[in-house]
Amino acid sequence: MSNSRKSIIATLACAAALSGLATQAFAFEGIGRTATPKEVAAWDIDVRPDFKGLPKGSGTVDQGMEVWEARCEHCHGTFGDSNEVFSPIVGGIQPNDIKTGRVANLTTPGFPGRTTFMKVPTISTIWDYVNRAMPWTEPKSLKTDEVYAVVNYLMYLNGIVPQDFVLNEKTIHDAQARMPNRNGMTHEHAMWPGKEFSKVSKPDTNNKACMKNCETEVKVSSMLPDYARNAHGNLAEQNRLVGAQKGADTTQPPKK
Amino acid sequence: MNLEGINHGRVRKAPENFLDQTGIRQVWEQAKNGRRDFLRNAFAAAAAGAASATAMANTSNPVPTEGGDPNILSLPEHSTNLGAGVVTDGYGKPSKYESNVQRRQSPGLTQTTQASVSFAPLQSLFGIVTPSGLHFERHHQGWWDIDPSKHRLMINGLVKRPMVFTMDEIMRLPSVSRFHFIECGANTATEWGNVAVPTVQYTHGMISCSEFTGVPLMSLLELAGIDMKKAKFVLAEGADGSSMTRTIPMSLITSGEVLVAYGQNGEMLRPENGYPLRLVVPGVQGVSWVKYLRRIEVGDQPYAAKDEAVHYIDLQPSGLHRQYTNLQEVKSVVTTPSGGQVLLDKGFYNISGLAWSGRGKIKAVDVSVDGGRNWRRARIEGPVQNKALTRFNIDWVWDGKPAIIQSRAIDETGHVQPNYRQLREVRGTRSIYHNNAIQSWLVQEDGEVKNVQLS
Repeated sequence: MSNSRKSIIATLACAAALSGLATQAFAFEGIGRTATPKEVAAWDIDVRPDFKGLPKGSGTVDQGMEVWEARCEHCHGTFGDSNEVFSPIVGGIQPNDIKTGRVANLTTPGFPGRTTFMKVPTISTIWDYVNRAMPWTEPKSLKTDEVYAVVNYLMYLNGIVPQDFVLNEKTIHDAQARMPNRNGMTHEHAMWPGKEFSKVSKPDTNNKACMKNCETEVKVSSMLPDYARNAHGNLAEQNRLVGAQKGADTTQPPKK
Repeated sequence: MNLEGINHGRVRKAPENFLDQTGIRQVWEQAKNGRRDFLRNAFAAAAAGAASATAMANTSNPVPTEGGDPNILSLPEHSTNLGAGVVTDGYGKPSKYESNVQRRQSPGLTQTTQASVSFAPLQSLFGIVTPSGLHFERHHQGWWDIDPSKHRLMINGLVKRPMVFTMDEIMRLPSVSRFHFIECGANTATEWGNVAVPTVQYTHGMISCSEFTGVPLMSLLELAGIDMKKAKFVLAEGADGSSMTRTIPMSLITSGEVLVAYGQNGEMLRPENGYPLRLVVPGVQGVSWVKYLRRIEVGDQPYAAKDEAVHYIDLQPSGLHRQYTNLQEVKSVVTTPSGGQVLLDKGFYNISGLAWSGRGKIKAVDVSVDGGRNWRRARIEGPVQNKALTRFNIDWVWDGKPAIIQSRAIDETGHVQPNYRQLREVRGTRSIYHNNAIQSWLVQEDGEVKNVQLS
């Protein structure tokens, strides 16, 4: 046996001794390269709730209003409460919510709609999203100080900070501590695969697979009214022309 | 099921008068008024009229008076002429007669098409594979057709060395191909409070199932030298304008289930579905399957991204939102017959539908045609795969009376799909996300199928 063959066999034996993924890492020789610091800085823009990733900068409410009127108002309305294009950002918050960290209107089933600031617990989320995805047609075009300013303006419109508040990488901690729904989230559910948030693993519904004479009253409680029959277009044109069933011609009134 | 005695060839046409005029009027008046006894009385009336119905026996495929079907007697053009040649179309398309089978927007749901959804036509699909061109769409800031030679994947965070990969490099790695469903967390959202849409396309069409081909994310993280002592959460980020971010569960990464995928049903991903690279997170709602995947960051804390702190949070009756609700729980729906369709005739039908669970395989599916009083176990069309759509079917002979068709899935953990009453008892009606309730289709005596909810 030649030396080179011996060394190949030795290599294979060595690789086999390692567990699966380590073996692969060896086999992946030549695939991928180290990212440069410049490349990581260009793409690693996320900001976490502990503000890891947040760049330094600052913005006033007045500056935020200028950014808003130039770049945001068109879709979101002058006061951020428009629902013409997107869900409202501003509204639904009462002064006491800032004390409790729970938005009272979320417990009122009749309250119309849920604005962004009624839901979001962390201002880091808003900073991160505005920075990465806004404005709608020119994402990532705002300067860091403009992001601070416009986030500050939104908090002002929601009554979270006063008009003279200056938002920067330090004061943002104070702002987060005033978020009206900061205590409004629960992680006690079985819908995260893993134990990182909660030990709950049992689903919250508990149906039984009854097969015969099951206890149920067969009563229709909801169906579309006749006037909505064609609201989704003619259903005859939304079904295959051949098969066990055809689509109902919803341009015609139902048979009586 | 015993099929003896069923006449497959001679299905009967529903007679006009199996319910008398008074009965029909009563059914409709009471339906409008939502009276408790609407169906009970309708069933009783239909039963009383059943005897006379048999006297009206007819077929939907009769022998014409000329002594034969002209479609048989007169040879068609395609039997007597030369057909088309190969490569008439280098990438073939469906028959022109299939043009009704389209993904569609639900009118009035969104104000833009770029932050919107289109629904897959489940009523027209067979088996478990969603044709890639009919896969449901969800875009957050518009879709792109990205040059794969310029696309890069970066891995950084709690790793020994941050890395960059080209598509060429990713496609050199050992690949796996697996069938998985992808369901939007907001699938069936319109139905939390009441019936709002007419067909299964709009109630359940934000689900699709494909064979995905790619590389386990764990392989790439190992290559970059992931710090498993500190790593607890992973961020996935897209390259489109929204640069979608989501926190990905570590347990599904270490199990090898999460894939960095480029293949879908034997071809590359479609641009609308993330070409050239997307994350596949089996069992988890679609928003986590980040499209145009550009970056993976390993961290020790969750990220509270916009789509896990403003949207994709589930409001409970207490006023609290459930956050980081990722799993798509056990669910099923009958797709044929389903809302907006009309049964052609009485007689034999093959009820068919789809079942799935984000917790694993489907164990069984039961079907009821009487609104949930009695259930029969459906046939499962194998193979039954982990976190994939599973097709079921069951025999049914429609007697022309009103019927309410339901399906109820059970997954391998033993979790039984809930009905609306059970779901609302726990979660109320304002949750938006993760509605996995049993769906009811009312087959009316005129054969038309309606989306209904039972109390």
